Amino acid sequence: MSLYEVVFIARQDITATQVEALTEQFQNVITEGGGTVVRTESWGLRTIAYKIKKNRKGHYVMLHLDSPAAAIHEMERQMRINEDLLRYLTLRVDEHDPEPSMVLQNKDTGDRPRRPQRSGGERGGYGDGDRGGAFGGAPKAPREVAPTEVVEGDVA
Amino acid sequence: MSDDTSTKRPSFFRRRKSCPFASESAPKIDYKDVRLLQRFTSERGKIVPSRITAVSAKSQRKLSKAIKQARFLGLMPYVLK
Repeated sequence: MSLYEVVFIARQDITATQVEALTEQFQNVITEGGGTVVRTESWGLRTIAYKIKKNRKGHYVMLHLDSPAAAIHEMERQMRINEDLLRYLTLRVDEHDPEPSMVLQNKDTGDRPRRPQRSGGERGGYGDGDRGGAFGGAPKAPREVAPTEVVEGDVA
Repeated sequence: MSDDTSTKRPSFFRRRKSCPFASESAPKIDYKDVRLLQRFTSERGKIVPSRITAVSAKSQRKLSKAIKQARFLGLMPYVLK
């Protein structure tokens, strides 16, 4: 028996009760396979950071499981078949975190107001181009050329 | 003025920062902690190299894995335009 953490995303247009039914279905697979469901955490309807199968949002559910591998395989097989599921991720973990996960602690639901403005520079300026655009850097604004004093002999 | 030239460095020298995950009280790297992971991505959503963030090599491996897991689950974007 190993400890697993499973997160799956269900389609946005199914109802909350359907999500519960879905969760129960997977939990049953585990218990029938000889495992136990340690904890279930529902993250609710969250905005996905990018479109998955044309869905902008999805119901997120996380399961903490203690289960033999065979039951996990069976659960994953059913997850692949189920068309209401957009995605799942199963990870084997060394221990289960008993506290509510950070997704719930960071209250936001994934809807960001187009990213908080960051005062540039803080991270070494690779500008918007991210690794140089096609035209190789727009000509820089003509700097006010202050005649720099060349002090020789200062650098050893 | 001191005449100790051996410790003199060019003005662009910066103090070596220590790894933000080294201390005992440091946050655990977890794919669910998007707020934390976002601090280590650029405004385009790319993972920032450890030479800039001063994350240790070991932590950087964990970090990049966590970021990729968070991306897969749609908690974080692959690209931000």
